[in-house]
Amino acid sequence: MEPAVSVQGLGYRYRGQQKPALEGVDLEVAEGEFVVVMGPSGAGKSTLCVSLNGLIPHFFRGRMEGEVRVRGHSTREGRVGEFAREIGLVFQDFEAQLFSTNVALEVAFGPENFAVERDEMERRVNSVLGQVRLEGFEDRQPATLSGGQKQRLAIASVLAIEPRILCLDEPTTDLDPVGKLGVFEIAEELKNRDDVTLIVVEHETEETLDADRIVVLREGRVVADRAAREVLRDVELLEESGVMPLQVTRFFHEMGLWQGQLPLTPEEGAQEFRQRGWRISQERHRELVDEDEERTQGYGEPIIEVGGLSHRYPNGFAALEGVDLTVRKGEFLAILGQNGSGKTTLVKHFNGLLKPTGGTVKVGGEETTEQGMLRLGQSVGYVFQNPDHQIFSDTVSDEVSFGPRIREMEGAEIKERVDEALSAVGLEGRGEEDPFGLTKGERQRVAVASVLAVRPEVLILDEPTTGLDYAEQRSMMELVARLNEAGSTIIVVTHTMWVVAEYAHRAVVVREGKIELSGTVREVFSREDELWEASLRPPHIVSLGNSLGYPVLSVDELVRVTEGG
Amino acid sequence: MDPSLYLDRDTWVHRLDPRTKMFLLIGAFVLAFIFLDPLYELVVLALVLIFGYMAKSLENLRRIWFILLAVGLLTLVLWSLVGGGRTPLFLFVELESVLYGLSIALRIDTTIIAGVIFLSTTRNEEVAIGLVKLGIPYRFAFAVTTALRLVPTIASTGFTISQAQRSRGLDLDSGNILQRTRKYVPLLVPVFVTTIRSTNVFSMALESKGFGAGGKRTFYLRTALGGRDVVVLVVFVVLLAASVALRVAGYGTLEGFSG
Amino acid sequence: MKEIFTMWRHTQMVVLVALSAAIYAAILIPFKGFPIIPGAVEIRPANVIPFVVGLLFGPAGAWGSAIGNLIGDFFGTLSPGSIGGFVGNFFLALLPYKLWGAYFRRDENSEPNMDSGKKLVVYIAIAVLASLVCSGIISWWVALLQIFPFVPVLILIVVNNAIMGVILGPILLRLIYPRVKRWGLLWTEIMEPEEVSASRLQSTGNILVWVGGVGAVVTGLILGTTGAAPAGLGIGLALLPFLILVVVGSFMLGGREQVEALEEEMAAEESRA
Repeated sequence: MEPAVSVQGLGYRYRGQQKPALEGVDLEVAEGEFVVVMGPSGAGKSTLCVSLNGLIPHFFRGRMEGEVRVRGHSTREGRVGEFAREIGLVFQDFEAQLFSTNVALEVAFGPENFAVERDEMERRVNSVLGQVRLEGFEDRQPATLSGGQKQRLAIASVLAIEPRILCLDEPTTDLDPVGKLGVFEIAEELKNRDDVTLIVVEHETEETLDADRIVVLREGRVVADRAAREVLRDVELLEESGVMPLQVTRFFHEMGLWQGQLPLTPEEGAQEFRQRGWRISQERHRELVDEDEERTQGYGEPIIEVGGLSHRYPNGFAALEGVDLTVRKGEFLAILGQNGSGKTTLVKHFNGLLKPTGGTVKVGGEETTEQGMLRLGQSVGYVFQNPDHQIFSDTVSDEVSFGPRIREMEGAEIKERVDEALSAVGLEGRGEEDPFGLTKGERQRVAVASVLAVRPEVLILDEPTTGLDYAEQRSMMELVARLNEAGSTIIVVTHTMWVVAEYAHRAVVVREGKIELSGTVREVFSREDELWEASLRPPHIVSLGNSLGYPVLSVDELVRVTEGG
Repeated sequence: MDPSLYLDRDTWVHRLDPRTKMFLLIGAFVLAFIFLDPLYELVVLALVLIFGYMAKSLENLRRIWFILLAVGLLTLVLWSLVGGGRTPLFLFVELESVLYGLSIALRIDTTIIAGVIFLSTTRNEEVAIGLVKLGIPYRFAFAVTTALRLVPTIASTGFTISQAQRSRGLDLDSGNILQRTRKYVPLLVPVFVTTIRSTNVFSMALESKGFGAGGKRTFYLRTALGGRDVVVLVVFVVLLAASVALRVAGYGTLEGFSG
Repeated sequence: MKEIFTMWRHTQMVVLVALSAAIYAAILIPFKGFPIIPGAVEIRPANVIPFVVGLLFGPAGAWGSAIGNLIGDFFGTLSPGSIGGFVGNFFLALLPYKLWGAYFRRDENSEPNMDSGKKLVVYIAIAVLASLVCSGIISWWVALLQIFPFVPVLILIVVNNAIMGVILGPILLRLIYPRVKRWGLLWTEIMEPEEVSASRLQSTGNILVWVGGVGAVVTGLILGTTGAAPAGLGIGLALLPFLILVVVGSFMLGGREQVEALEEEMAAEESRA
């Protein structure tokens, strides 16, 4: 039978680029298969996606080599629109692919373009909205949906064209855990349908377990194309390719098991652990808990004190109710919770962006309402989630010097602070570059540096790892950890759970405007049921530890406390 | 923030074909421009308001009362000062110029209110279909409705950006007018850059869904000129004709005004 | 002028129309007291957008600012006057890219990135002229409709547009141009040379636009202040010839040369790579 997709010797270089985005890529996907494509940022994953429906070579101007055939038709012949009925493409940026005023019309857009009859259109709208669980949303404006719902709508709008092949480009990267789950459930159902071939670009390994095959791309080339479980067990390959290996697998790999035996999930891991007769050393686990304790003792005086804080938005929505929280100097605090739980509302009180509608917030002993934002900004720096929402200058140093300049500092002082901030984020010597020539991870660093240049005591980071690949996430968090060691108080708002486990000291879980859980990360993560209730899933290694009765936070910790290996 | 004026109500006005509503809107504009006597203008305004009441759309006027008031007063004052007439009131202001100003103020407010009622009862997509059915190319209509849909999205991005820059110390309210103007740069650049940056993904998503795939296109929203439309159109045409006849017969004018 | 029609073939240009319009409207609306409150030289930063999108996105910018202004009206002030606003804002963004090419030799760097004194001077001159034309069109229309007195409207629109355009325009272009170019979204890059009209008697076209723009405003001011023809048909007829000159001049200005210049630059870069 003819393959659904066949890629032969595909190479592509964008106009104006020196390096090719893809080189000599061969790939075949059979009808009904579920293939996952992985790799770091810049590996060529998205380029591969857009070459499947003819956007390459027709939309982009650049140089293409080799050939792509979709169900037998070469993408070189025919226009993009013609391939839309064969292969549906869903992009990562869901905001940029919704353009109608209500959900039903969004779904109908594709069929409208193909002049589908009105009754058939109605049937399809009802059917695909059911498939993505958005029944009853027909009249809602897309702008009022949550991120996960928007991505599901984007998928529905492509499904309505009834393509045989569906390609999803990082569909969950920008979503919170609940949103991700919703998208994966849909993928799961599509996968089980024989008439749909599914190609998903993903960088979270935990979600690829069910794939038939995993293709790993690195610098535009295919470095692995094998059965999913086989690739997932190849810890070294994944690490070399900038993909985060499964934690349970990595643990057993480090304990010296050979590749073929490696378990993948926490359940498999717990079974393997027990079968091998390994034990957790109580004594060494005690050490871990004592270290936590010792660190907690070491914090300085309270710097942010929140008492009975409530916040009600002008539309009447009560985002926070009776929140008490004290942050002490030198802490590394993670604030967890779903989108809409109130976590961002909470931290926006710390630098005066929001004023309490009930209760008090004190920074440095003084109420925030008594301090202007300019002065509060000296003590509390706030790095927003998307660096592109603040970068405006044409050079990195101009951007970083914005805070000092607006506070009317001297030229020499400004230069000193800019240099200091740039070297703190590892961008020394790159002050003259254009921020938009940098990668997303680097732009995130510029945003951090521009806040550091004011030398605040507290640094708030809102979702600092969203949209970054594994290597970038690691290096971002290493940077934050260094700042913390150098004395900064850190508050991270996030739902990337492994980041919390490995880097934060204390965690607070916010749910429906109240603080649900609070304590050291170890304490909070040992309460898996309550986390689940707040729609948060602890990382695999934490689950493995918990099921063995001893909360651990990282692979290294579990290696350290395991006996008998 | 949701600046859209559309109100999802089930009234007979909402159910009219978008083309009928467009015709009514333009007709209302014409009606407002026929007379110059403030009393006649008042009648036209009353008609428009009654129509709006039946369309359950008058609540939107609360959102623009300030504009209505400001435009009304401004027009009244401007024409009272600029215009001339025969009957002196005080200083150099004459009765006729005041009446003229009043008339024009009512005229402008009437057209604005008619516009609000139209937008309160017509979806963006209906505007697009209406335009297409009237012969406007689909791509143009698409650009108009897409822009309409994106306004709230961009406004909320702009709000996030202003929070981010205020967190860094930006204070828009201090300084002289030149300094204050320049302070908009840190807001305008990110708004512009983040929005424009999505052009390619946006275009690719469109083409991937068959935008421009072929010539013919169908529409999900049903539009058809029904019996109701015909009745409304006939009534309205009669009204217009009667008004023109009145004016030609010399009613509803304003004697003695000179610009 | 054919590019204002041929551009609709390109999906990217259609999207740029929508995005430019949406940006313009989104910034206009929060500042919407009312467009023409006398004496209020309030800060209306949105007014810089037509110049920027005109120079960057060419015809898409022109349609974008026309539609953006119309959408601004959709949020409260839709009236017959909106037609004048549509056409006026179309020219406010059209003239900058049309005129720009007339001031640079073929072999000269003419990227509107404001990196030289000459570019700055040209930009300011063009921004002022486009403001004059825009204001001339809108006030001509409202005078014809007899809804506002001519002179105050004229002065306010010129001042509002020109001030924001001159103060903010150069900074924005300097910061935004390189990024738009990097993403391949300049109109000169998206469109093909044969889709754009070539210039004919470019310098004459340039002069016609100047005569038309300045002439319309000066004549309007004289007629308006002397009371010779304060409103209505009188001003309407008097200004019409000047506005026609602007349109004729725009036809002669072309634009294909700018597209070709960018194409040559890209080809040169390609061969170096």
